[in-house]
Amino acid sequence: MGNTVLQPDTEFIKDLMAAGAEDVKKCYQCATCSVACELGDGAFPRRQMVAAQWGQKEKLLADPAPWLCFYCGECSKRCPRQANPGETMMALRRYATAQYDWTGLARRMYGSAVWEIGVLLLVAAMVIALFTVPQNFGFGLLRQHPEALQTVRLDLFAPKHVVHRADWIMAIGLALLLLSNALRMFRALTRGKHVPLGVWLACLPGMVADGLTQRRWAKCGESRMHWLRHLVLVTGYGTIFTLVVIFLPWFQVEDTGFHWTSLLGYYSTVVLLGSTGWILLDRMGKRSEMHRFSELSDWLFPVLLFLTALSGIALHIVRLANEPMATYTIYTVHLAIAAPMLIVEVPFGKWAHLLYRPLALYIAAAVNRSEAMDGYKE
Amino acid sequence: MSKLGVYICSGCGIGEALDMAQVSKVGGESKAAVCRTHAALCSAEGVAGIRADLDSGAVDRVVVAACSPRFKTEAFCFNHGTIVERVNLREHVAWCHKPGDEDTQMLAEDYLRMGIARALKTEAVQPLSNEISDTILVVGGGIAGTTAAVEAANAGYPVLLVEKEEELGGRAAASRKLTVSMEELAETALYHPRIRTYCSTEIRKIEGQPGMFDVTLGTVSGEQQVRAGAIVVATGWKPYDAAKLAHLGYGASPDVITNEQFERMAAKGPILRPSNGQPVKSVVFVQCAGSRDPEHLPYCSTVCCLQTLRQIGYLREQDQEAQVYVIYKDMRTPAQDERIYRQAQDHPMNFFTKGEVAAVKRWEDGRVAVTADHTLLGESITVLADLVVLAAGMVPNGTENILHLTYRQGPELPVLRDGFPDSHFVCFPYETRRTGIYAAGTVRSPMGEDQGRRDAMGAAMKAIQCVELASKGRAVHPRGGDMSFPSFFLQRCTQCKRCTEECPFGALDEDVKGTPKPNPYRCRRCGVCMGACPERIVSFANYSVDMIASMIKAIEVPEEDEEKPRVLALVCENDAYPALDLAGLKRQPYDANVRVIPLRCLGSLNIVWIADALSRGIDGVMLIGCKYGEDYQCHFTKGSELAAKRLENLKETLQRLQLEPERLQLTELAIDEWDKLPALFDGFVERMRELGPNPYKGF
Repeated sequence: MGNTVLQPDTEFIKDLMAAGAEDVKKCYQCATCSVACELGDGAFPRRQMVAAQWGQKEKLLADPAPWLCFYCGECSKRCPRQANPGETMMALRRYATAQYDWTGLARRMYGSAVWEIGVLLLVAAMVIALFTVPQNFGFGLLRQHPEALQTVRLDLFAPKHVVHRADWIMAIGLALLLLSNALRMFRALTRGKHVPLGVWLACLPGMVADGLTQRRWAKCGESRMHWLRHLVLVTGYGTIFTLVVIFLPWFQVEDTGFHWTSLLGYYSTVVLLGSTGWILLDRMGKRSEMHRFSELSDWLFPVLLFLTALSGIALHIVRLANEPMATYTIYTVHLAIAAPMLIVEVPFGKWAHLLYRPLALYIAAAVNRSEAMDGYKE
Repeated sequence: MSKLGVYICSGCGIGEALDMAQVSKVGGESKAAVCRTHAALCSAEGVAGIRADLDSGAVDRVVVAACSPRFKTEAFCFNHGTIVERVNLREHVAWCHKPGDEDTQMLAEDYLRMGIARALKTEAVQPLSNEISDTILVVGGGIAGTTAAVEAANAGYPVLLVEKEEELGGRAAASRKLTVSMEELAETALYHPRIRTYCSTEIRKIEGQPGMFDVTLGTVSGEQQVRAGAIVVATGWKPYDAAKLAHLGYGASPDVITNEQFERMAAKGPILRPSNGQPVKSVVFVQCAGSRDPEHLPYCSTVCCLQTLRQIGYLREQDQEAQVYVIYKDMRTPAQDERIYRQAQDHPMNFFTKGEVAAVKRWEDGRVAVTADHTLLGESITVLADLVVLAAGMVPNGTENILHLTYRQGPELPVLRDGFPDSHFVCFPYETRRTGIYAAGTVRSPMGEDQGRRDAMGAAMKAIQCVELASKGRAVHPRGGDMSFPSFFLQRCTQCKRCTEECPFGALDEDVKGTPKPNPYRCRRCGVCMGACPERIVSFANYSVDMIASMIKAIEVPEEDEEKPRVLALVCENDAYPALDLAGLKRQPYDANVRVIPLRCLGSLNIVWIADALSRGIDGVMLIGCKYGEDYQCHFTKGSELAAKRLENLKETLQRLQLEPERLQLTELAIDEWDKLPALFDGFVERMRELGPNPYKGF
């Protein structure tokens, strides 16, 4: 308010500009973007643009609005000043992802390519080391079992119970990290706001629906293609995640016979390769507004997902072809891609949006509903 | 005894609409020496016929009854001094009235009678001839003044350039950066063979008139007399009085300054806090400080947005991290200035918002707190700054204590509503209400240096035009070329001073008793003095009270029982008359009972004409002139307004004579409102019918 002195956070402005909002200062507040936006409240994203220009860090970190945007790019297309509000909202999400992470790792990785690639390589190296250094696991164990060099024996190379347990440890660890970060987001977005428990509960189904279907995205922009493609990608990703984390004993099999899990695996493979490949071509060709600007984080996520799926299906093929050494090597490579991808992207990287976005929508909906109720009471 | 030739054209549809033999008879009934009809009078053959009569001496003045005088002007221009009267049978009769109709025929015959009456009352103009100085005096040696001086000198005219400061430069000299090199400009002027520059010099007195202004220049050491033919006033601007900006914090702290003070500081050296000389780490620029504010300056001062952007640039040269806030009403950066706006916006430490400054106060730590409401951030904000710069508006500096004219109407240029001495910023740029004195640059409108230079060229051309026309005894705009001028039959003057007060251009001085002292070169020939004079002692050789009265008398007023009302329309020849031509061109029919007489300006309306018309049984009189008031369009600034005043006085008299005041009506009409004319005429004639015939008919 008028009595408190406004002090722009100049570091924030520079960080945000470095995170992709390099054109934010060009905005002269004509509000064409707000008119173009199908999802905003009438002032979005104009108000966020001026807040960003003026270094209003606290205000923006407490604002769920950037997460309401699915980047159809209509605003940027129509902006008379080339201020790229769409990309600015993307940069705000990148910045927020970095800020909500309490470990500080996300901040380092968003700020520096060396850090991001370094961490990925480090985790990959740890996975490779896990299969090569110990004597009773991976390649070490194979030395004691020459028969495993004649026929594929994944149960000897990477025993299911060990991998399954590792899957669970990783899944729980990542979930805890992500949840703790999400809790920080929740605190930031609800500070000073009073939402009754009943409202929180009432809005919960909406959050689940948003998370599963991204239904608001369907209303966004001229084409529903991006939404549909993303939805299919989510099903593919969800299928393979469920297979690996919950149904690994039925998924990682030794024989060459038919398994029901194979069908699901093929589905995931096709979907993941197809959609991430398509996304990568879009980004390379800057084919649509949302793909015109690509930060490192925007490249790594689809690249890693594509490579994971590719190595997964390659693993399947060499196993069926009974090529033991190729199978073990590709298995190691597959995990050396998948594990770093999950560890880096889920709690610290772009993938975190799978929780942040529905959560922000949930909070926004709950706050709106309780404010409307307050207004009704008054 | 004058030998009149009447020539009637039957081309362009006139012959089809009228009984030409009857029209011709009107010419014959007059004392015309020659009366002829021709199928295309403007053709070479038609013109040659007239010329032959003139050359043989058969006729010495000519009535051409054909198209509007606004057309074929060159064709019907004969030897110098030949009186030519045009009767508009085409646009005003044939093209807008029922062909072959009795009323149309009566209208044409009346117009011809009126034209003949006018021609017979016209006298040959004796042109003025005096020794005219072609020297241009330029007052003010800033960008505009120096440019005007150089331009006029380059065109071959001697120039006197007067500057009150020690050096040329004006406000430009106090600016850090300009798109114009003032040094180069000053050097060009100083070494120009046709420019004499007087620095540290003021004008003590200006006497005389265009072509012969006697100017007294004064310096600390003495005075000297110079003569000039025309004057360009380029005395520039001054910042809006900052003392009136207390609501924006001026005076609250020494660190609240105006843009002009900032510019001076930046021109001299680094930008520092005035309070303690420390570097400036944060600045708030408050735009429109006074401008676009109905309580201060209602207009946009044009340059403040650009100046602020430039000043941000100066600060950036010394500090990239300083925080710069701009609180604006609208950023206005036309043309290429937009690039500078973009550039300023791009800097991460520059913060722009629309907003209204609500409070500017000293903060505890000595900085200045600026609070703005209604910002784009969606809330009121307060920012702290080491320096607050108020982008104060421009006010003209040319209307007080500058020219010292010895004119009866005052020593300085009269101003319009916003204090500018222009006479109409759209229609008549550079023209002031003092003939021969032209305003250039920021004295007449806020503008930047580039526009100021172009403006100076325009004003210099106007000044050159003035001395050239004066040397031929011709009037300047808007009656450019007119050689007539008013003469005063002073034996009958009652010293009522109406003419000297009402002259829109201050052309008339007075002696101690109040008798007018004409200065014909100051005159723009509008005839306002002629309309003002109750004794009717003012007249032009080709425009007089008697002449218009004779035209009114020439109108045949039918007897009461004929049910043909007669309406006289006295219309301004600048807007209403051409509008009526347009109505004819567009074939817009209107009542044929109206008789139109053009006046030089409605301000030349002498109320005796109305008395004449009504006493002759004319049922109603319409006056159609330009718009007046704040957004006036009158070419002589207030002619129609004066006519309206005279009409109000007359309406009272009318009531004493038992005549309805509705018989008089004044309408303001712009040239583009031609389409309203038919309804206007028809409506008025209809009301006259309802009122019944003028009871004085037949007396």
